[in-house]
Amino acid sequence: MQGSSFRRSSIAGLPAGSGSALPALLLVGLFFIVPVVALLLRSVTDPEPGLQNYAALFGSGTYVRVFLNTFLVASVVTAVTIVVAFPVAWMLAIMPPALGSIVFGIIILSMWTNLLTRTYAWMVLLQRTGVINRALMALGIIHEPLPLINNLAGVTIGMVYIMLPFMILPLVGTLRAIDPMTLRAAALCGASPFEAFRRILLPLSLPGIAAGGLMVFVMSLGYFVTPALLGGTSNMMLAEMIAQTVQSLLNWGLGSAAAFVLLVVTMALYAIQLRLVGASRAGGGI
Amino acid sequence: MKLILTGLLAGLLAATAAKADEMAFTSWGGTTQEAQTKSWAAPFEASSGIKVLQDGPTDYGKLKAMVDAGNVTWDVVDVEMDFAIKAAKDGLLEPIDYAVVPKADLDPRFSNEHAVGSFYYSFVLAWNKGAVPGEPTGWADMFDTKKFPGKRTFYKWSAPGVIEIALLADGVPADKLYPLDLDRAFKKLDTIKSDIVWWGGGAESQQLIASGEAAFGQLWNGRVFALQQDGTDVGVAWNQNLTAADVLVVPKGAKNKGSAMKFLAAATSPTGQAKFAEASGYAPINTKAKAEMPADAVKALPDAHVDGQINLDMNYWAEHRDEIATRWYAWQTK
Repeated sequence: MQGSSFRRSSIAGLPAGSGSALPALLLVGLFFIVPVVALLLRSVTDPEPGLQNYAALFGSGTYVRVFLNTFLVASVVTAVTIVVAFPVAWMLAIMPPALGSIVFGIIILSMWTNLLTRTYAWMVLLQRTGVINRALMALGIIHEPLPLINNLAGVTIGMVYIMLPFMILPLVGTLRAIDPMTLRAAALCGASPFEAFRRILLPLSLPGIAAGGLMVFVMSLGYFVTPALLGGTSNMMLAEMIAQTVQSLLNWGLGSAAAFVLLVVTMALYAIQLRLVGASRAGGGI
Repeated sequence: MKLILTGLLAGLLAATAAKADEMAFTSWGGTTQEAQTKSWAAPFEASSGIKVLQDGPTDYGKLKAMVDAGNVTWDVVDVEMDFAIKAAKDGLLEPIDYAVVPKADLDPRFSNEHAVGSFYYSFVLAWNKGAVPGEPTGWADMFDTKKFPGKRTFYKWSAPGVIEIALLADGVPADKLYPLDLDRAFKKLDTIKSDIVWWGGGAESQQLIASGEAAFGQLWNGRVFALQQDGTDVGVAWNQNLTAADVLVVPKGAKNKGSAMKFLAAATSPTGQAKFAEASGYAPINTKAKAEMPADAVKALPDAHVDGQINLDMNYWAEHRDEIATRWYAWQTK
């Protein structure tokens, strides 16, 4: 029985054991593919058949602006996340395993805390009358509260914090696979620490950076809660705009079109990354 | 997030709402829905034996989706009146059965073929006394950043209120507000745009004012009332208070229509309205309700401040809802 199913899979060109992926495929098919098709249909049929929703979308200065802003915010968040995550990942990679797993645990722990709770916590910290501004003013470092919330700064801080684990995890995998001897060899050849980082460590860690970066970027594109609570309306992101279109304007057609465009852009980005980094590495060291 | 949450809740309700002795009531959450639960749902459950499931927050997109899909899990929904007028036109609502809901004592301003009044409220100017020097007296003060520095908070969504406030502050007389001059309103709002913090829900408006994060703002009078009840040091200016109403509607195809109508009768009864008004500070839509309220509770209502009171034009808004919203979000995201 086992043998025959193995043969059948081989004939179909599928690797052995593909059958056990069936539940996952069904789940994805039922709860992702079907809704996406419904979304697409809605965008070209609601309120009447045609492409008028897409015309309205690209013809509206508001949506174009929100689209551009969404990409701006996602780019800033991704860049900052990479810069902040890299030293942490490197530290984790070279730490003694026992200590490393404790630090790892702390990072993972933050992912287990409710997203909304964490975002509200940032509100308390960042607002004008918040902990950070009060402390800085009490210390005499600033005299006016810093504008840390309801703007791009607030969104960036809140989202980088949430995205960090998604960057650190793939990066640690890549960094651990780098032979530390390469850095020692660089030093022996006279490279300064910075040069060793720039010419050895950074190029070798690129697959991890690319994998983590893409994940952070794509997750940021569709983010709702954090930008809605920590951002201002002039940094509105697409997810919130879609929610408004549907909830307030009752325009499901336009909302669906916007969601579909975002999905297509996201998939295109993933395809580009697959091509650049190679399919086998796109998953990084996760 | 809101969509997902309401979706999940609605899904859960769908499994249970079909039972004959249950119905689902949806409102805006927070102190308002608590008062509705206490004043309407609890006594109604006791007298009728019909269990009232609470859901929320109200979500117009969700309501339309339910009606379109023919799977309506909400039986009575608290909505803004301008939405109700538009939704009735779009065929999203059941007609109110006035054979079950006594109409004689209802304020005719807030009840019609497809909606019965829930309560009416005023937008008032409220401020944190610790954060504002002096006393603002009218909407114009919210646009005077020299005299009154600090952040000011306004209702985030496109709805009756903020446009009118900007026009009043710019000197438009109350009886000349409609049709709304949107260009003029947005130009006025531009002058303080960087000082605005938006509130998306009642609890948020309370938090912003109570913490001093925003020095003052445009708040629902009931939310200010709740802050004062809690002992927060908030000032309130009733001058130019802007009235609007919430109404109760039954979505088209609601599964427990019969129970819903009985609930509406209880909610709009003099006693139900009196209890809710006392608990919330919002005004009753039943003309007999005030007779059942303690005198000092009546004083907290918008009715006690008819001098300088301005009625927001719900019919105008119902007609121009989409057009204003498109301009509103375009301006807001700029």
